[in-house]
Amino acid sequence: MIEAQALSKRYGAKTAVDAVSFTVQPGKVTGFLGPNGAGKSTTMRMIVGLDNPSGGGVTVNGRAYAQHTAPLREVGALLDAKAVHTKRSAYNHLRAMAATHGIPNSRVKDVIELTGLGPVAKKRVGGFSLGMGQRLGIAAALLGDPHTVILDEPVNGLDPEGVQWVRHLAKGLASEGRTVFLSSHLMSEMALTADHLIVIGRGRIIADAPIQSIIDGQGKVRVRVRADRPQDLLGGLAGEGVTSQVLEPELVEITGVEPRRIAEIALRERVLVYELTPLQVSLEDAYMQLTQNEVEYHSHTPTAADPAAAPSEGR
Amino acid sequence: MATSTTPAPALQRPRPDRNPGPGVNFGRVLKSEWIKVTTVPSTVILIACTVVLMVGISALLAWQTTFLFEAQSDPEMAAQMQAQGAPDPNDIVRDIPGSGLTFGQLLMASLAVVLIASEWATGMIRSTMVAVPRRTPALLAKQLIMAVISFVIGAGSALIAYFIAQPILAGSDLDFGLGDDGVLLHIVNTGSVLALVSIFAMSIGTLIRNTAGGVVTSIGILLVLPIVVAIFGSGTEWVVDAARFLPSSGGEQMVATTIADGAFNQWQGALVLGGWSLLLLVVSLIVTKKRDV
Repeated sequence: MIEAQALSKRYGAKTAVDAVSFTVQPGKVTGFLGPNGAGKSTTMRMIVGLDNPSGGGVTVNGRAYAQHTAPLREVGALLDAKAVHTKRSAYNHLRAMAATHGIPNSRVKDVIELTGLGPVAKKRVGGFSLGMGQRLGIAAALLGDPHTVILDEPVNGLDPEGVQWVRHLAKGLASEGRTVFLSSHLMSEMALTADHLIVIGRGRIIADAPIQSIIDGQGKVRVRVRADRPQDLLGGLAGEGVTSQVLEPELVEITGVEPRRIAEIALRERVLVYELTPLQVSLEDAYMQLTQNEVEYHSHTPTAADPAAAPSEGR
Repeated sequence: MATSTTPAPALQRPRPDRNPGPGVNFGRVLKSEWIKVTTVPSTVILIACTVVLMVGISALLAWQTTFLFEAQSDPEMAAQMQAQGAPDPNDIVRDIPGSGLTFGQLLMASLAVVLIASEWATGMIRSTMVAVPRRTPALLAKQLIMAVISFVIGAGSALIAYFIAQPILAGSDLDFGLGDDGVLLHIVNTGSVLALVSIFAMSIGTLIRNTAGGVVTSIGILLVLPIVVAIFGSGTEWVVDAARFLPSSGGEQMVATTIADGAFNQWQGALVLGGWSLLLLVVSLIVTKKRDV
């Protein structure tokens, strides 16, 4: 279990993580979703004590990470696939990590097998592909057979087979009662893996709920309507609890009511309707709606001032 | 909290009082750092170079000293050479075993910086600090291993150099015994200087977190600064006085076989160099504990 209390991180004037509080429960996969630069990696680094919070705190299994006597046996973390000396072999890297906790070499060989690194284990990490580096990071995270597993963008650079493997791994670990916390900026990936979602944007928690309720809550029916007098149509819909957005003089998007009902109202109001298109609401849309206010920073053409939008991802 | 949706509670592990298994202790961290030091090629290459260079320089110096001795066996030549300030071979032979110390410092200081700064360059430091989140034991273990390696390389090279130099010197009757005045201390302290220098350099590497910057800074302070001070400060009394407290001056006194009047002896020299190394070590530990990785 991971518990964050008013956790904050500021870099100078920029607030990367803004007083977030959340709990990651054992026994399920919790997705940590947000656009690039939203504060996911910074939050995860604070969980394992690499970054010191500017305010608030975070505990894992009831204690700050550094207070555990056997941290690798409590928490396994993949934060950065490149956290490896490039001239050392994967096997020696894992052996050095394992030695700090007296983890036997047999376990090192186990995680190498588990992550499919066998054929390249004795090769220098510098020559690894992104996907292989990712597998090595996951192997390191699993070394201590930890009760809590934190994976930052674990499917980055993996081939489809690898992506599927990570999904099964995450679900398998959760079904054993472990706490699994994984981040992504892809809603589609989360939809397939996570049971619970914590959505973060610009350092703040936007949503923290079971994945189904996030989809249901945001995914109302949306219909695109072209009509000659849209205002009259919207006036007729006033009692139906809809939200609408006028995109062009004769084009509106209406959310919250079935297309058939719109047609009925249009007929009653004698409005000419010449397009009535139900828009598919995907998970991606639900996510975009959730975060649209939080990503405006990224949506315009990059300018000199823009790199400030993503201060923490590339570290 | 929708814990009711959690499948298979039978698989739920008992917590939080379960015993997670063996934890981090200094012995284990030492073993981990030893694996790290011995599994990158730069360590082995730099160590081999250091031994070869230190022994080679001593052998060359021994050989050169025999020429000096021959030249001075001619009384006329000896008088002329003495006027030019050439040393008496009998005074300098006992410094031969550790004569490669400057090069040893150059290489071992570089290795010390590389070992820590490369962790930052490659990102390995994050793995290290996740495994040892208290941080200080990881740094101390690395320092200890590097210091021991440096001591063994320094003292070992000096001892090998001693035995190689004796047959060369014997031809001119300049050979000397291990038990002679200051010889054994000279050999041991050649290792001690390297050990202290490696702590000095690794602390700088820890603070600067950059291989090139760390090497340049360490070498600058240890080997270039004394030259600059000697060139520009020789006429100024307070500079000369202060220069005795440079880390390099402390190292020089540690391996001196004859102590000039008013100069620091071997132990005082060790206090000077050791003081600098300890100061930087403590600062680097405090700073690393506080900074984000």
